[in-house]
Amino acid sequence: MKTRIKELRARYDMTQEDLARNVGARRETIVFLEKGKYNPSLKLAHDIAKALNTKIDELFIFEE
Amino acid sequence: MLNETKTGQKLVILMGIGITALVVGTFAYYILANPTIELFDMISIPIILIIILTSSYIIYDRAKNIKKGLPAQDERLKIAGYKAGYYGFIAAIWSAVGSNMLSIILFDEELRGGLVTAAVVLISGITFMLAYYYFSRKGE
Repeated sequence: MKTRIKELRARYDMTQEDLARNVGARRETIVFLEKGKYNPSLKLAHDIAKALNTKIDELFIFEE
Repeated sequence: MLNETKTGQKLVILMGIGITALVVGTFAYYILANPTIELFDMISIPIILIIILTSSYIIYDRAKNIKKGLPAQDERLKIAGYKAGYYGFIAAIWSAVGSNMLSIILFDEELRGGLVTAAVVLISGITFMLAYYYFSRKGE
């Protein structure tokens, strides 16, 4: 799974820590998400999408 | 809601510090009251050290995150805890059987009940600690 978290975070000039604070997660979780090494819960995915003003399906790219 | 959660997290940290202090105090009192340390006492030392080191690390890590305004624990770490608990449980079962079996094979002698308990606590504790560390650093 690929994500656009890093790209959108840069657009809003947001650090990993800012985003983590916004969504109530730890910074390491954001790091793993950006690397595609962690599948978040639907709630966390929704919170991140909301924090980055986007939709879940635009934020996470699933590859077959 | 957020403040309540933060208060709860701070309370958990304070409780952790209190329990660790009590363990250290009890351990120090026990060692000072017993000038001669037997084998059984020697085995209990690593158990206590594991409890102290693990709790100190967890308290430090959580306090550091709360200070930055981040949660002490999030969904990823909760999952890591559940997975580590599973491995700790498996290790506890196997060590209960295995420690006695190993003692019979190596020393031709059954272990005392207290030593089996010590082995179970020690092995499952170490397994839990290592598995938690591994899963919290691994990501998925």
